[in-house]
Amino acid sequence: MGTVRGFDSEMAGRRAECDGGSALEGTRFAAREEYAGTLTGDFVEEGDPAWRWYVLGDLTRAPNGYPHDTVWCEAGNLFVVDDTERRAGGTG
Amino acid sequence: MPKDPLRTKLCDLLGIEYPVIAFTHCKDVAVAVINAGGFAVLGEAMHTPEEIGADIAWIRERVEGRPYGVDLLLPASAPPSGSLDDLQAKIPVSHRDFARRIKDKYDVPDPKGPVALHTWGGLNQELARAQFEVVLDERVPVIASGLGSPAFLLDAAHERDMVVLGLVGKARQAKRQIEAGVDVIVAQGYDAAGHTGSTGTFSIVAEVAAIAGDTPVVAAGGVTTGRHLAAALCLGASGVWTGTLWLASRESDVDMVVKERLLTATADDTTHSKCISGMTMRVLKCPWTEEWAGPEAPDPLSPPYQMLLSADYIQGANDHHRGDLMTEAAGQGVGFVTSMKPARQILFDVVEEALDTFEGLVGDLT
Repeated sequence: MGTVRGFDSEMAGRRAECDGGSALEGTRFAAREEYAGTLTGDFVEEGDPAWRWYVLGDLTRAPNGYPHDTVWCEAGNLFVVDDTERRAGGTG
Repeated sequence: MPKDPLRTKLCDLLGIEYPVIAFTHCKDVAVAVINAGGFAVLGEAMHTPEEIGADIAWIRERVEGRPYGVDLLLPASAPPSGSLDDLQAKIPVSHRDFARRIKDKYDVPDPKGPVALHTWGGLNQELARAQFEVVLDERVPVIASGLGSPAFLLDAAHERDMVVLGLVGKARQAKRQIEAGVDVIVAQGYDAAGHTGSTGTFSIVAEVAAIAGDTPVVAAGGVTTGRHLAAALCLGASGVWTGTLWLASRESDVDMVVKERLLTATADDTTHSKCISGMTMRVLKCPWTEEWAGPEAPDPLSPPYQMLLSADYIQGANDHHRGDLMTEAAGQGVGFVTSMKPARQILFDVVEEALDTFEGLVGDLT
């Protein structure tokens, strides 16, 4: 079980939205957060079952004050918006 | 014989008597609901893989072969990595000062130990992976994902005859998960406790039910009575997902002072605020939420900084059982939680009221 880093040229440059969020460590809480931007094409795929994550950059939507230029988005929660028939990743 | 309106395809899929799912962090509540004919999903996101394994064994020993579930918070996004020190250094002085003024004003005690936040961010999902691997290894009958899409682990779960639930806040998330083969979609509305989408329960349930086909849909958000259950079934759901309903039950391990607040709280006593985490979530109002809603308050920081700021208050309040300071995730249906009953009785009351509601609408069902 390892981590594969790769580049998906078909995804690179595509506009996408991420219905993101995470658990809040140390609490019972979690929170949803939304991002929109452009996929760089970079991804990692971890372990078995394979868990694929893409880098979303050039963010046009992020939580207020989000301090980073990019965000990692899990493929199943990523929605390519410039082609509604496409599926990010391969999990959907 | 007339059809039993509470006998739904969710009941058939899960092998349960009543289409009521209790989401709880308390094992005793879970066992009580399961043994009374409902279903329970134990929230395990905070626990280590070893603790999850122990909890699974504990429940399995007490439910006599009945099915049960485990809920994990699979992450859906992650910021680039950064150390905790790096992150804390970026919290503005103005925000630190505001948090300090709250602490002084309300005499908030220091936490008894280190604040539980110790790592953050980056593409480090090792804990979540270790958690779901335990759940897969143990062949827990039902795995629920309370946040991110569980699509990537579907094959592994189905190979083990496990049922997979995905909780969604938007119809497009439901569509994606249904197409991937997720077995049950939990459509959660804005009324819910904790993290929610922006769509109300009435709207999201009907919207998801309209696209779900044969996939059972479960309604979540503000469900605390039998009338809510009946309404959810009328909207096209096959059951309900309930959390707040059980917080003040006899078996619940929620702090007694919080239980007492829950029993007197109404929907107006909840707030949908960013001041805990930087992301909107519904919790019981407390001094922290009220101060951040005031005119003097700065805008809450983005995640994870706001959580770093609030963690000291929350843990200090919890460690010292300060009921005047504590908060808890609670949905807008909390106003119907008015007495401390055994979980079994809560379930039966909900079922009976739902049947009464249907009977009132269409006549005698028996």
